[in-house]
Amino acid sequence: MDSAREEILTKVRASLGRGPGSPVAPVPPTARVKSRTPGPLDAEIEQLFIEIGKLNGTTRRLVSKDDLKSALADLVKAEAVKKATCWTTPDLTTSDVAGILEALGVKIVSPQADKHLVAECELGVTGVDAALPETGTLLLRSSPERPRVVSLLPRVHLAILRRTVLRADLHQAFAEAKDAGYCVLVTGPSRTSDIELTLTLGVHGPKSLYAWLLDAP
Amino acid sequence: MSIKAQLFITCLAEQFFPGVLHRMVGLLERLGVQVAFPEAQTCCGQPFFNSGYQTQARKLARKWLEVFGRTDGFIVSPSGSCVDMVRHHYPHLFPPGTPEHHLAEDTAARTFEFTQFLVQQLKVTDVGARFPHKVTYHASCHLLRGLTVRGEPKALLRKVQGLEFVPLSTEETCCGFGGTFSVIYPEVSQAMMEAKVKSIEATGAEAVVACDAGCLMNIAGGLQKVNSPIKAMHLIEVLTADRGAP
Amino acid sequence: MSQATVPIDFRTNAQHVPPKMPAAVQKATAKFLGTRAALVEALGNDLWQTLRQASHDLRLHAITHLDHCLERAERAVIKAGGHVHWARDAAEANRIVLEIARQHHVKKVVKSKSMATEEIGLNHAMEAAGIQVIETDLGEYIVQLKGMGPAHIVVPAFHLSKEEIAELFREKLGVDAPAEAEKLTQVARMKLREEFLSAGLGISGGNFLVAETGTIVTVTNEGNGRMCTTVPPVHVAIVGIDKIVPDWESLTVLLKVLARSATGQKITCYTQFISGPARTEAETGPKELHLVLLDNGRSRILQSPECRETLLCIRCGACLNICPVFNNVGGYTYGYPISGPTGMMFASQILGAEVAGGLAFASTLCGACNDICPVKIPITEILLHLRHRVVEGDEQERAVAPSLLRAGARVGSVALRTPWIYRLGSTLLKWFQAPLKHGGWLPKLPPPLNRWTMVRPLPVFASDFRAWWRTRSREAKGPQ
Repeated sequence: MDSAREEILTKVRASLGRGPGSPVAPVPPTARVKSRTPGPLDAEIEQLFIEIGKLNGTTRRLVSKDDLKSALADLVKAEAVKKATCWTTPDLTTSDVAGILEALGVKIVSPQADKHLVAECELGVTGVDAALPETGTLLLRSSPERPRVVSLLPRVHLAILRRTVLRADLHQAFAEAKDAGYCVLVTGPSRTSDIELTLTLGVHGPKSLYAWLLDAP
Repeated sequence: MSIKAQLFITCLAEQFFPGVLHRMVGLLERLGVQVAFPEAQTCCGQPFFNSGYQTQARKLARKWLEVFGRTDGFIVSPSGSCVDMVRHHYPHLFPPGTPEHHLAEDTAARTFEFTQFLVQQLKVTDVGARFPHKVTYHASCHLLRGLTVRGEPKALLRKVQGLEFVPLSTEETCCGFGGTFSVIYPEVSQAMMEAKVKSIEATGAEAVVACDAGCLMNIAGGLQKVNSPIKAMHLIEVLTADRGAP
Repeated sequence: MSQATVPIDFRTNAQHVPPKMPAAVQKATAKFLGTRAALVEALGNDLWQTLRQASHDLRLHAITHLDHCLERAERAVIKAGGHVHWARDAAEANRIVLEIARQHHVKKVVKSKSMATEEIGLNHAMEAAGIQVIETDLGEYIVQLKGMGPAHIVVPAFHLSKEEIAELFREKLGVDAPAEAEKLTQVARMKLREEFLSAGLGISGGNFLVAETGTIVTVTNEGNGRMCTTVPPVHVAIVGIDKIVPDWESLTVLLKVLARSATGQKITCYTQFISGPARTEAETGPKELHLVLLDNGRSRILQSPECRETLLCIRCGACLNICPVFNNVGGYTYGYPISGPTGMMFASQILGAEVAGGLAFASTLCGACNDICPVKIPITEILLHLRHRVVEGDEQERAVAPSLLRAGARVGSVALRTPWIYRLGSTLLKWFQAPLKHGGWLPKLPPPLNRWTMVRPLPVFASDFRAWWRTRSREAKGPQ
């Protein structure tokens, strides 16, 4: 409602003694903190994995396509995966995760299918657009190849990342992500302490988070 | 030239803890301080200010500044909250740039709580006291957070001969006095007071020490209510325990 | 809960705190304070204080340029394909949301935790229009089933035992689950998934609104924030105008202090950045995004230079956790969905002195909240000003304290600053107390001092310093 807009802005300006053309000071330097200097990449990856582990996530390093195949086989068995849904980014397509899963007897459901069907999937596989070692955080963007429901609806979220996505901190990650539309920072599986302050996992988001570093081409 | 200290005795200490005031005078004199007492003093106005009556608080502040503003030397008080009132709130009661504001700032700058004065100004932590008992300490909120006096009282206690210090698990938790809070919301004040008393009892101490008359009234009353043998004492009483009243 | 018009009676509420509540509160707050302290220690106090100062300066910059930031955010949301609505008050906000719901023939709404929506009584408004609203944050879901509001802004159902929750699920959901946190959580997960998947509208609040790109930031640990804003075809976000931050860079600081202060985590599990609706259908996000910018008294809070830093609050709940008053009474006592020190500031200003002025006094001014607040709000200073507003009035409101009390203050002030009256008073008190003395104590006094003695005895009036000093001075001078 235009009149509501005008009224609110007028009140705000009057409260601050500002007018429509009032100057806008830059954000004061005291409001900024320094960016972090990252360590060597291997140490960063190590820290990333440690932090994810602390949050009950499971990490793994894969150095070949065979590694990927056997890791997926283990996962399908451990989590009793019958249906899965996947991102269709070039990287995941090249690694042929969907193909490997199908060969393991897993039905692949399109992320764009009816959401009830997607919700029936035990497993959602995504890539990672940025990884932050300090907190074990994975940044996932949103695009036609990166549907949001893949990392959200299934009980298990498998995030396959490359060493090239490691970032020093939020400063770096934000600089890249802020104009790219929606993104989500995922730090561990879904959790709550709402009942008697007791930690439980898997409330509404995934109950299990797997983060695998794929070092194979 | 010896140090001069104007006594700011505070309305609560005057009404309820005269012994603390006598002992404070004796101790300061023994430390070589020349003590004076501006007789026209009454109350700093804190109860009014804290209850929102800033107009009345301003009148009391004017009176206080009239009495103490014309003195020289330090102004020393056995109460952290009253000193906090003077140091932090008095200047804001008067428009910046006015003579009253200047007077408030200048006078506030030489107003100190007792342990602040001893440790920071006189550089004294050992007054040659003896008190061979188990003692715990409650940090009054305005002393701790208003004046950021954290270590001084304990530094003085550490030098008391024979004193066994036991830390209080709720040392920095409010005792529930809060001035008029205690009579506006008595039930909540009671809950806080009882929690404080329980945690004091849990230390096994024979005495609990504080540096504010308000806290002491509340805690002493709480201990009395449960017939506890634990004594609530002002730090000055511990520092002068081995002497008779001067 | 709708805007209160009945005065909030903190004292009566405090007298009716359930006996188990204080222990439950203290258990919850001790946990959060402990994990917070460990993280602050790990960061180092110097860095933590730098972050607090930076957070304060950021938020202050945002609200002192609020007009500019709001316009910038609006432009960016529209550019990203979203709709922006402005709501002057609770009623207008509810009307806007209802209109959106009607346009889309919505029968069921899923909602993530939002203090703003509690403030405006959104659930009641929607239910009155025949729309089912389901709270999806586990704690909110539980208290909603119980027909109550949140008892703490971060852990709404902390005060309920697992047995009580199991019984509640049995009664309201017809589900028989053992009284174990894990099993009860799974019940909620199952029930709520169906709601997420079938709801026509998802409603969220916003932890922050980034002016730079019109981005709504939501943080949840459970994932219900993501579900509400991803699965239903329409997303409505109700965000107080005070939640604005200038840019993404601001969040590098604020996200560091928010989760640490709220739950003792380095960062919340899911931090979402929503810039407009989904750009493509293939992304599987909402087709439509509506941002409702809520004033509801915030522009008036902004007016007062003494009180405007109330709006810096990022709703972390740390002040609740450290407050000794809150720890003894719990959230319901404050009569407002936001409780504790920040709730006291908010409620007394949003609802006005007449309705909520008493809340400004529900504090001993111990100052623990000032020290723990991650955005360095001078809470006790603001409360002091709000007390002044209640009893003496200011530019915003006239005094509401009873005239008898105010007259009493004037009389008391004269008595206390006139030395001879003060001295006479001290003497009279010593005389009149005689029949009431019991050892060195006065166990029972008449009103108004009975409010003291109903809790503990008063020491006897014993002023003698002036006479003592005079005697001593005479003796020091020696015989003349």
